[in-house]
Amino acid sequence: MFISGFFYIIGETFKGLYRNRWMCITSTGVVVVTLLMLGIFMLVNLNIGFITDTVKEQVEIVIYIDEAADEAELEQLERMLLNHGLLEEVRYVSSEEHMDRLRRQLGRVLEGYDAEQDNPLLASYEVKTLLPDNVVPLAREFETYPAVSAVFYGQGYVENLFAVTGVIQMVGLGLMVGLSITAVFLIAHTIKLTVMMRQKEISIMKYVGATNWFIRWPYILEGLLMGFVGAALPLLGLYFIYQYSVEWITVNELVFLSLLPVELVILELAKYLIPLGIGLGILGSTFSMSRFLRV
Amino acid sequence: MVEAKNLCMKYDKSERFALENLTFQIDRGEFVFFVGSSGAGKSTILKLMIRELKPTEGTLKVFGRNVARLPRHRLPYLRRNIGMVFQDFRLMEERTAYDNVAFAMIVTGASRKEISKRVPHVLGLVGLHEKNMTRVCDLSGGEQQRVGLARAIVNRPAMIIADEPTGNLDPGTSLDIMTLLRSINLRGSTVLVATHNREIVDRFKKRVLYLENGKLVGDEQKGIYTHVH
Repeated sequence: MFISGFFYIIGETFKGLYRNRWMCITSTGVVVVTLLMLGIFMLVNLNIGFITDTVKEQVEIVIYIDEAADEAELEQLERMLLNHGLLEEVRYVSSEEHMDRLRRQLGRVLEGYDAEQDNPLLASYEVKTLLPDNVVPLAREFETYPAVSAVFYGQGYVENLFAVTGVIQMVGLGLMVGLSITAVFLIAHTIKLTVMMRQKEISIMKYVGATNWFIRWPYILEGLLMGFVGAALPLLGLYFIYQYSVEWITVNELVFLSLLPVELVILELAKYLIPLGIGLGILGSTFSMSRFLRV
Repeated sequence: MVEAKNLCMKYDKSERFALENLTFQIDRGEFVFFVGSSGAGKSTILKLMIRELKPTEGTLKVFGRNVARLPRHRLPYLRRNIGMVFQDFRLMEERTAYDNVAFAMIVTGASRKEISKRVPHVLGLVGLHEKNMTRVCDLSGGEQQRVGLARAIVNRPAMIIADEPTGNLDPGTSLDIMTLLRSINLRGSTVLVATHNREIVDRFKKRVLYLENGKLVGDEQKGIYTHVH
């Protein structure tokens, strides 16, 4: 049973694809268009995520130490910072170091100025958080220490950046979910048309004693192949579109931050689109067939 | 082989019974005609036998098993023991005669060797040995029905059910098809034929079950359509 049945199923899959080639091309076309749109949204979303993460990683908190703080308060602050579980890096910057930085920035403007006698710059701690999203809450926490004079982290700018990118990513995610659902319906309906055209064939199979699985397999494999091709083609298209876009953006210096590398992005997309295409094809075939198997 | 007891069947949207209180028995090796006008219930009985429909009341046993209680996954195995012949042939038209007949063997799990030996033999039996590789759509109506017959007998089923097998054929071809069915019966298969072809029934003088408005109104050995009527 296994050998003749196996060859039959494989043979039927390819014969079925050939016999109903126009319908199959239509079904695959629907998968290609929907997954291409989905892929474009994913590309945009992935890059927005990458850019915002890069920006977020560059954000650090500067804690200025109050000159009036006593030893105990200074020690409390230092101990807290060094033992804090959410911080990646803590660096002490003395008032002298601040002055050196200022000298390097301003150059000759500060020539002749006696910084040792009269240095108004405050010593500080420059800290980097493990997670960019912790910047705001941690900055608020540090402000409560008595040894702290002021805390800076790019107030306003960081909150706006996080809010805007969050909204963009949520909208992108919503569009992707919507497109996926649309794709399932479109594909199920197109495959249903294919199956309806072969309704007579299915009923004959039932009359001669074919089991439901024996009938289903060629259709499932057809769905799988259509889904695979339907996902592979947009991936190929997206590869060239993205490669061209990255080159164009780099040449024209349109984005101050670099985009994700082509290979990495395409691999990431393939991880989602190929199983999605295959899954859609199989689901579409299975759902469309179930009604016709009840003979 | 087939045993019906107080068999009733009512379609969902219908007011009246399609079959009402039918009781009969068909033994192994019999040749039986189900006759009656359109809507008498001939096709309904045959559909019940292959469990395309379920009876509303009563029992119908085929090969000793109550078909209504047969689990869905066992249906293919029931149908493999019954060869079906239809008025509209129900063949895969774009495929060859060979493919159509071979398909019935493939689903049973026959080996390729067995299939390549048995299919040409059976097509030879129905007089189509030279048209093995002709597509069904290129065959005449009579030839198509012969392919249907070959498909029905290829697995050596215990029973052949033919629903108006001559309904779409001219008298000469109808006679050929019925002669083939009789020779299949002589080889040991039980043959049940639903028909309203008076000439055929009268000529073959087999058992006739006469149906009228879903009721069994006559059962005659070596019956004649006209007599029963």
